[in-house]
Order: sequence, then C-alpha cells, then structure tokens
Amino acid sequence: MSPSALSPSALAFRAVGAIAQPLLRDVVTRVSRMVGLPCRALALDDEVRTASVVGRKQWDADRLLAELEMRAEALAVPPIGAPGTVLVGLAAEDMGNAIFTHFFGRARIGGGAVVVSVARLSPTFYGMPDDPDLTARRASLEVLHELAHVAGLRHCTLPNCLMRLAHNVEAIDLRGGAFCAECASRLPRHFLAG
Amino acid sequence: MTAAEPFRILVVDDETIVRESLGGWFREDGCKVDCVPSSREALRLVAENRYDLALLDVKMPGMDGLELQARLAEAAPDLTIIIMTAYASVDTAVRALKQGAYDYIVKPFDPDDLSHLVRRAQEHRSLRSENRRLRESLEAVATPESIVGTSPQMRRVQELIASVAPTDATVLVTGKSGTGKELVAKAIHAGSPRRLNALVTVHCGALAEGVLESELFGHEKGAFTGAAYHHKGKFEQADGGTIFLDEIGEVSPRVQVELLRVLEEKTVTRVGGKQPVPTDFRVVAATNRDLESMVKEGKFREDLWWRLNVVTILIPPLSDRPDDIEPLARHFLDRFARQMNLKDVSFSPEAIVALKAHPWPGNVRELQNAIERAVVLGKPPVIRMDDLPFSVTHGGAPRITGRKLEDVERGHIAAVLSETNWNITRAADVLGVDRGTLYNKIQRYKLERPASV
Ligand SMILES: [Zn+2]
Ligand SMILES: [Zn+2]
Repeated sequence: MSPSALSPSALAFRAVGAIAQPLLRDVVTRVSRMVGLPCRALALDDEVRTASVVGRKQWDADRLLAELEMRAEALAVPPIGAPGTVLVGLAAEDMGNAIFTHFFGRARIGGGAVVVSVARLSPTFYGMPDDPDLTARRASLEVLHELAHVAGLRHCTLPNCLMRLAHNVEAIDLRGGAFCAECASRLPRHFLAG
Repeated sequence: MTAAEPFRILVVDDETIVRESLGGWFREDGCKVDCVPSSREALRLVAENRYDLALLDVKMPGMDGLELQARLAEAAPDLTIIIMTAYASVDTAVRALKQGAYDYIVKPFDPDDLSHLVRRAQEHRSLRSENRRLRESLEAVATPESIVGTSPQMRRVQELIASVAPTDATVLVTGKSGTGKELVAKAIHAGSPRRLNALVTVHCGALAEGVLESELFGHEKGAFTGAAYHHKGKFEQADGGTIFLDEIGEVSPRVQVELLRVLEEKTVTRVGGKQPVPTDFRVVAATNRDLESMVKEGKFREDLWWRLNVVTILIPPLSDRPDDIEPLARHFLDRFARQMNLKDVSFSPEAIVALKAHPWPGNVRELQNAIERAVVLGKPPVIRMDDLPFSVTHGGAPRITGRKLEDVERGHIAAVLSETNWNITRAADVLGVDRGTLYNKIQRYKLERPASV
C-alpha cells in the first residue's frame, strides 16, 4: 500500500439532508484544528438523493457513500478543486444497510469521500436533552476516524486510540480524541496538525 | 494462539451485499476473511485452509446452511460455526444450535451485537483448544503399561526415561515387537517441557516411500497427481512438540537421506516446495530391528544412525524378566475389570503359574490381549487357567494321555517345557524343582526338545 497514492490533500465538507449550518461550521472548525489539511465548508443547495434501506426509515450508507465519492471526483479536478480533495458528508438521517442496523460513519480505504451520520451521535436519540457541543465533538472525531481509514488505517486494539472500533456512543466517548503513537506514525505526513 | 496470528473467518452467503459488507467489516477489524457464495465453494476452501470461525447463511440455493454445517462438522470439527438468518427462519437457527452451532445472529446485525458475538467466539475457541491440549497432556501422563514392572531391567528403563525426558536429546527405543516402544515415547514426551504441545506419531513401516515422504515433510498443491491441496507434514505438525518415528528401520535409503537433512537443519521443505520451513521438534525413534548390523550391511545410513543413537533405551522382552509378568497381569486385570465395572477380580493360583510359564513371544501386547480376552470370555471374578488362551490351545503342547501318575507327571513336565520354550531354569522354577532334578526327569521320560521352536 503506498500512502502517498491515497493521501488526502484537502477536505471539503457538505451537509447531507437537514443539517443545521452552525453544526456543520462547528465540525469544520474542530476538524481543521486537528488535521494539517486545508478545510472548507461547501455551501451547496443541491440535494444528495439516496435510497433508503428496504423496510427501514434509514438511508443506505453504501449508496450514500458511493454517491458522495462520485461527487468528490469533480472536486479533485482543478479549477473546481485540487487533487486529493476528500469530500466529507455530514448526514442528518440515520444510516445502515441490508446487513447492519446502523453505521456512525462509512469510508473506504483510498476512497474519495467519507460520510458520518449525526443521528445517533446526538443525545436526543437516546432520549436525553440536546447538547450541540457534544454532538459536534463526536461528529468531528468520527470524521477523523473515517478519514484515517481513507488514508489506509485499519482498526486498532488499543483502548485509548481513535482507531479503536466503536459500535456505540459510549465507546466513541471512551476511546478519546487522539491516535496512538503507532497509528499516528502510519498516517501520511501533513495529515495531523502540528 | 499468538497475538500476531489473525483470526480467520469464512463467510458463506449467496447475497453479494452480505459478503461485501461483512468482508469489509471484518477486514477493518484485522481479521483474515474469505467470502464465498455457495456451500460447495466453502467446502473446497475449508479443505485447503484453516479457519477459526464460519458464518453461514441458512437459506442458500443448492446445499443450505444447515447441511453445510453438518458437512463442516465432519470436515473441520474444530471450526466454530455461527448461523446467519433472517427474522422469518429463527426456528431453523434453533435447529442449527441443536446441531452444534456456537450461536446464531439475525439479519440485519447490530454491529455491537456482532462484534460481541465474534469476540465471544474467539474466546470460546482459545479456551477450547487450551482445554484439549491440557486433556491430551493429562492422558499422556497416565501410567503407561510398558513402564510397569519391578525387575532390575525395567527399573533401568524407568531411570533412563526419567533422566532423558526433560532434555531435548534424541532417543532411540529398541525392543521386540509388543514390548511397548510407543508407550516409552509417550512417557518421554509427557515428562518433557514439550508436553503441552503435540506428540506426533509416524508408523514409517506402514507407508510406501512416496506416501511416507509427503506424510513426513508435507507437500505443496500440485506436487504430484492427486495433490489437490497443500498439506502440512508431520515434522511441521510436531512444531514445539515431539515426533515419534516408529519402525525407523523400514525407511528407504532415499527417505533416510532426507530425514538426516531435516534432523541436522531443523527445517522442512515440503515435497514440490522451495521454501524451507523452520520447525522445532524433538525426535524419538523406535525399531525392533538391529540397526547396528543394518549399518554394517549397508542397509541403514551410518550418519543417520549416529544422529538417532544419542540415547538408546532397550526394552527387554517379557521372557527375560519373568518377575514383571505377575505385576503386569494384575495391572491389566485391574484395568479391564474397571472398564467392565467388575469388582474384586483375581487370578486363581494355577492361572498365575500358567501366566509365568508362558514364553510370551508377543510380549506385553500379547499379555494384555490374553488378559482382556480372559476378562471378557472367562467367568470372573476369578480368572482360571482355562480362561487363558494358551492353556487350551497352545500349539505343540503335548496332551496328557493315560491315568497313571507317571503319565500325568510326564505330560505335565512336557507341557511346562513347551510353555517355557524349553528354558530349563524357568521350567524348573515353575515346577518347583531344581535344574538337576528336571534334567533327570527329562532323561527318564525321554523328553526331546522339538527341532525348531
Ligand atoms: Zn472504523
Ligand atoms: Zn491505534
């Protein structure tokens, strides 16, 4: 695997569905502090249309990711964008697929896009009072986790590493916001800030 | 299982989306995954590779998940199986559980549930293989019969085993057939630091040259006609443990050369392979042949003999250690009685005399068979002389004819001589007379030793 081939050079964020603009901006700000890549929010009014999972009120995560990857191709071509630009979709709706009940985020190694759904990251999903700050923090860390997948990383078994597999919000909160030394060393240069 | 070894998963589902989703998901988690759309392909892969876990879809065209499960239980009994099912066929999943599946999971999967299930399966698996290893090592430690005996010769054997077992020294066990050479190998393995790993036995004399080669060294796929899959040889299987090469005297000159190389280099190259594989084994070899004279006759390589002959343990035939017959016979009687749930079983005094008088050409194995037969066919709790196979059918034992005391004495002496193979010392011992008296009786009754015994 050659890291330079997949190395993201810039991040473009966009809303997918009814995402409040302050939330999107908050996530962009947080992510831009953690990565060493230029980040910008796209103000687009086109709808990303995607199919639902049959029989469920959920977006199909695989199709959503494929749709975003297609749109990312345009971003990678100057003058619209730069090569290596990764499109980050922040989705309002819950997502899953025929096999899995839900995903927090979805990405492929070497892919051009990532998608993170905020539906299950918000405390309101679990019947608790809204906390936009907590939702934005979780979403930013999920974005970073998925971006590391794009850059070639797999899951890590260390408890405090951001690349640890997390299937529920408790696990997302527990694993913290940093990569372990080993995972950090595998990331391309300039991926991380500082 | 070492931490570096990835968990190997096989996914069998006819739906592409399932294979892609699960495959990607497990791969992200650091597992090695193969995904196939049919039972037929699953069976082919299982024959070729080792998997820790298989996830099988219940509903598939052709052979369904339950039938595949049954076939896998035979082909790969160690494999942990999880059944995947849609909500509608939960009954089928319950059937799978009764059939021995580890668990089932209903589609769509909550990633959290699936993750927990796979972790549990992983732990279950490592516990199970640990238990098996422990059980096998306990079985190996149980007193082997070959080592029962209080004669000076057997004491010497016991001492040798005790001193050589904890080392890594190569041991050559020699002795007539039936003396229990394999049991000595087991005792050496059980007394060594390798006891938690495998003791792998190869009966070299039973296999044709080509078969023996691939049995010992393994072979690569396509190494010869019929080699459809690659195969790990016994040396590789014995990695960390002991390899027992029985009937080493029967090995062909070509295989002797290869054996010598493997023993010297501690690496194995599979038949048809190029890459030597390092393996860590200890060798115990056995033979009932006189290897030293085979070396002199040029039938066995001298360099290989030197390699094997680091420590030699000679097990004397039973006829050389009559003192061991009675304790061994009692040992077997106890064992078979326990197996058949019989209590207070014993030998009649005549049966003991007959056992001691018999020459036991088949050694410990013959004795064991005789006792087993007596327990099964005789009339316990007392085993009588009539229950012993040789007392009635012993070939060449002259029948006692006539009613005169003289005739009876002549017949009895002839029978004992025949049973002891005309060993005068032992026959005198059995008859309770000294050797001089026995010689006189032999002359008086004109008893003659048969031409060939
Ligand atoms: Zn991940
Ligand atoms: Zn890590």
